[in-house]
Amino acid sequence: MADQTQSTPLDMRAIAPHLLLPLAIIGVVVFFAALQPAMISGGNVVNIMKQSSLFFFVAAAQLVVIITRGFDLSVGANVSLVSVVSSMVMTSLLPGLGTGIGVFAGVCTGLAIGAALGAINGALVAYARINPFIVTLATMSIFTGIATTVSGGFPIFNLPEGFSFALNQMKILALPIPLVIAGAVAWALHFMLTRTVHGRVLYVLGDSNEVAHVGGRRVREHLFFAYVTSGILAAIAGLLMTAQTGSGEPNLGTSLVLSSIAAAVIGGASLRGGTGTISAPIYGALLITCLSIGMNLQQINGSLQPVVIGAILIFGAALDAYRTRGR
Amino acid sequence: MTEHMIEPDAALASGHPAHKAGETLIELRDLDKSYGAFKALQGMQFELRAGEVHVLFGENGAGKSTLIQIICGVQGFDSGSYRLFGEPVSLMTPALAHDKGVSIVFQEFSLIPEMTVEENLFLGHEMVQGLRLAKTEMRRKVHAVLDRLGFALDPRARVRNLRRAHQQMVEIAKALLWDCRVLILDEPTASLTDQEAAQLFDIIEQLRADGLGIVYVSHRMPEISRLADRVTVLRDGKYIDTVQMADTSEKELVQLMTGRTFDEFFPEITRSAGDTLMQFEGVTLQRGMAHDLSFSVRRGEVLGFAGLAGCGKSEVLRAAFGLEPLSSGQITCGSTRLERHSPRKALSNRICYFPSDRATEGLAMSQNLISNSTVAALDDQKFSRRGMLLKRPAERSFTKEIIEKLKIRTPGLNARADQLSGGNKQKLMIARGLSREFDIFLFDEPTVGVDIQAKLEIYDVIKTLTEAGKAVVIASSELAEVMHMSHRVIVMREGAIVGELDGDEVTEQALLSHFFAHEEPAAQAAGEVN
Amino acid sequence: MTVQTIRNTARRNRILASIGILPIVLIVTCGLLALYEPRFLRSSNLINVLRNASFLSIISAGQMLVIIVGGFDISVGAIVALTSVSSALSIVWLADLGIGSTAMVVALGCLLGLIPGILVGLANGFFVSVMKISPFMVTIGTMTMAAGIAGYVTGGTPIYDLPELFTREIGRGSLFRLPYIVYAAALVLCLLWYMQTQTRLGRYFYAVGGNEKAARLSGLNTRKYIWAAYVLSALLAGIVGLFLTARVGSGEATLGSNLMLESISVAVIGGVALKGGVGRIPMVALSALFLSVLSNGMSLIRIDSKYHIIIIGIVIVIAVAAESYRERRRAGHG
Repeated sequence: MADQTQSTPLDMRAIAPHLLLPLAIIGVVVFFAALQPAMISGGNVVNIMKQSSLFFFVAAAQLVVIITRGFDLSVGANVSLVSVVSSMVMTSLLPGLGTGIGVFAGVCTGLAIGAALGAINGALVAYARINPFIVTLATMSIFTGIATTVSGGFPIFNLPEGFSFALNQMKILALPIPLVIAGAVAWALHFMLTRTVHGRVLYVLGDSNEVAHVGGRRVREHLFFAYVTSGILAAIAGLLMTAQTGSGEPNLGTSLVLSSIAAAVIGGASLRGGTGTISAPIYGALLITCLSIGMNLQQINGSLQPVVIGAILIFGAALDAYRTRGR
Repeated sequence: MTEHMIEPDAALASGHPAHKAGETLIELRDLDKSYGAFKALQGMQFELRAGEVHVLFGENGAGKSTLIQIICGVQGFDSGSYRLFGEPVSLMTPALAHDKGVSIVFQEFSLIPEMTVEENLFLGHEMVQGLRLAKTEMRRKVHAVLDRLGFALDPRARVRNLRRAHQQMVEIAKALLWDCRVLILDEPTASLTDQEAAQLFDIIEQLRADGLGIVYVSHRMPEISRLADRVTVLRDGKYIDTVQMADTSEKELVQLMTGRTFDEFFPEITRSAGDTLMQFEGVTLQRGMAHDLSFSVRRGEVLGFAGLAGCGKSEVLRAAFGLEPLSSGQITCGSTRLERHSPRKALSNRICYFPSDRATEGLAMSQNLISNSTVAALDDQKFSRRGMLLKRPAERSFTKEIIEKLKIRTPGLNARADQLSGGNKQKLMIARGLSREFDIFLFDEPTVGVDIQAKLEIYDVIKTLTEAGKAVVIASSELAEVMHMSHRVIVMREGAIVGELDGDEVTEQALLSHFFAHEEPAAQAAGEVN
Repeated sequence: MTVQTIRNTARRNRILASIGILPIVLIVTCGLLALYEPRFLRSSNLINVLRNASFLSIISAGQMLVIIVGGFDISVGAIVALTSVSSALSIVWLADLGIGSTAMVVALGCLLGLIPGILVGLANGFFVSVMKISPFMVTIGTMTMAAGIAGYVTGGTPIYDLPELFTREIGRGSLFRLPYIVYAAALVLCLLWYMQTQTRLGRYFYAVGGNEKAARLSGLNTRKYIWAAYVLSALLAGIVGLFLTARVGSGEATLGSNLMLESISVAVIGGVALKGGVGRIPMVALSALFLSVLSNGMSLIRIDSKYHIIIIGIVIVIAVAAESYRERRRAGHG
């Protein structure tokens, strides 16, 4: 032990890119805290945690398909439809079967719908081999249309309180439940992406479908499953967001799509496919949430907030283009 | 052929001055060019005179493409000097090169697939009347140049619908549409028949007589023997020598190019032909690239497939691996008939395939070495539990093993595949052959874009595999390679097998005579290269 | 089968291949509507259809240019809104200044109003061609920014008090019973058709989109042409914004929100390939007409507007699936 006079030097150039995002997030928080101390109040921090967790799920949904060089423009519509249908199930079962079963049925329905929507996208992309952009552009309209139709265009109120409690207000070990769920799911996704054959194949698909095919992988099945996963993650977001607002909203997810892509890309996923880890949606969600909440505290006009998000999107994409130049 | 060049068009800056024979047109001195860490050219020298055909000779990866790209302005250079027509050049662009009279026929087509032949011919240099395209004028000129070249092409055909050979003709016509003082041809006869190639050679000789300087990139002996005045040899990005063709034998040229003789270059592989492992019977491919294929693949020997580009040899290997659907016939592997064949099925039947296109089929370029080395064996219990959970330590140790065994030069295990040089990428791809138990190895163009050192190492792998009793099949467009590496050669032409040569029958003359429709090859080499 | 029938079949297949089935589908749809719903053929209805088709075809033509050079323009809808707001504001401001006649105020106001949209186009072109950022990301970014700015500037309320010259004459006026926008569309489409088929610029768009590397090797400044496509798209969106504002009678920050999706739908159905390098004005115009007829038909048959968007989504999927099927078959026989 006495012989170790010099430990291995830290390679700053290797570590630097990994520090960029955490520093950016801290920077944003510090900036807004300087303007509005309420930014770092206990209540606000909990708020940030909760909002980031919710947003994490749509960003993660996006990550899974971005890795395969695809898109999911329908995440927002997915969230809306899940919100509406699960609410309807819960409110219709509530009088007859009670809160417990009603909530359970609602959650299961929501997840099932998310998986089904993901399956539709997956089938069209993987089996019919249509460009993911077009597929999810079309399914975005179709699913939104269905959500509006099914709900009659109005929100669905009178959701059981147990629902909002279980999925929003509850705390486990002093941590808000959305954060706990997000943490668990993040871990599971990380495991899938780094330790399973499926995850490995997703990355290879992001580079080239042909390489995976020549390697003997079942390309279509893996792609299909990626979109189903994305659908389920979006559904979780939908359920958690519904629990937060306390009503089923046919427009719950409309504004989410672009930010979800922005979050994933800024966080490190590349639109060219083949790269991106679980840290991407985590950092991306945190960054965008801190920005939004900070802007709200500053009472920046609601119309201007998208301007900032748009600018961030372009900046993140420029970074991505710079990172992957020469590919 | 005494017809003169197309008269300069009035709309162009016409009247490039004629050059005296022997006048220096291009002079490159001490040229260096690097792509990141990769040194493409080091200390390159090159000089082109009027009235000569100057051949650039070298293996793949020697730097020929980079050199001509610098000459015609597609790439810049890092240091050294470039003088064009006596004037120093600081910044060359394709448009500028064209205006100055430097024309180039690219190897990788510079054509727009969705546009027609005449639109492509004039791209960037359209004839206009005011704002409006002068379509009749252009049509006339296109007919003139096509007639003169003797190319039977429909100017209104879309390039994407043309056969590869015809696309190459369009490339050539494009370069010759305008007056030029320097013409650069990059492997122009790769897809031409002997008749078309002969026509091209006639034109080149005529242009030489007219005082043009012609740079001709090739590594085909017959053409070089016929056309070259001088030959500049490149190896691994370095300048080796410039020789007069008249004073140099082919043997000496090859020796300059590879740094060793053929005997030293290609390894001697012991042949111990064993039982038949795979059989093709009357196979015809659905896409029509090959038909009526019948042959067998045996243990312990190297079976080579030779033929011009587009003859179907690659497709045969792909069919053996399940990448090409069949419309008739059958493929049997051992006792199993391979029906509804797929790569997955091939791999489980112990067939391994190395694609010709590394970038799109062989390697996942932004994944690391570990991912790429095991990609074909992820179901093997060596690397995964029940085909679902990865055994990462096992993957790591396997990757370390193959890096050592195949001498792959890499910054580390986690380096991305696209950070490796061409030869090392190829070796990485070949490493998958060691990731599970295979009996049959299909090499599709095994040494394209690979430097000499890596080539030797790959040939060594082939030797080891064959002598260990595996069956090896090689499809190669490089005549020397397929000739010297194979024990048995099947020659293909236009999708059909036209000959099978065994052992001592495998000579260059014999092979060439099968390549072309006529009995005599277009530009017959004087004797064999041996 | 006689030789003659074989030749006729081959000729028919060639014609089909070049113009596709769209004209037939259009005629069939019109025919069915005429039979089923006699209100379709009423001149006021047909003028409605033509008017919508005019708006749609102009903005889709711009989208077509961008897709041809290998990108997308997601911001066209937002540009319409931005132009609406800025032109309305300019006109009102100039009118307050009291300089010159109403005609001049309107003309100048419109010109000023086009500027922000063109700036968006310039930004799009810059980020895509110079910084080489994904067109998708860039135009989504500029879309959110443009929409946000438009919303902010209007504070959520429309901008009223536009001069009657603008709203009544240009917005709702007509020449020989056809609204002015139809003539504008005809003019725009003819100019673009001329550009595409008779000028170098048209060819260069195809070249850059068809094979960017080859275009560069042929000496083309690909950056310039990609940039130009985005600016043209923005300009055309701006023109649509002006006419829509005139028709609606006020500056609205929510104008044109459907147009992005519709313009891409029209382009795709009109044979513009997503990979770039392919697309012709006449087919895009026909496709715009088809979609207008379809929307109109659905309204007449009293299909709820909620379902319109579902049906259009399905039509897009079918069109793209058909196109990719044809591509794969062609590649298979290559």
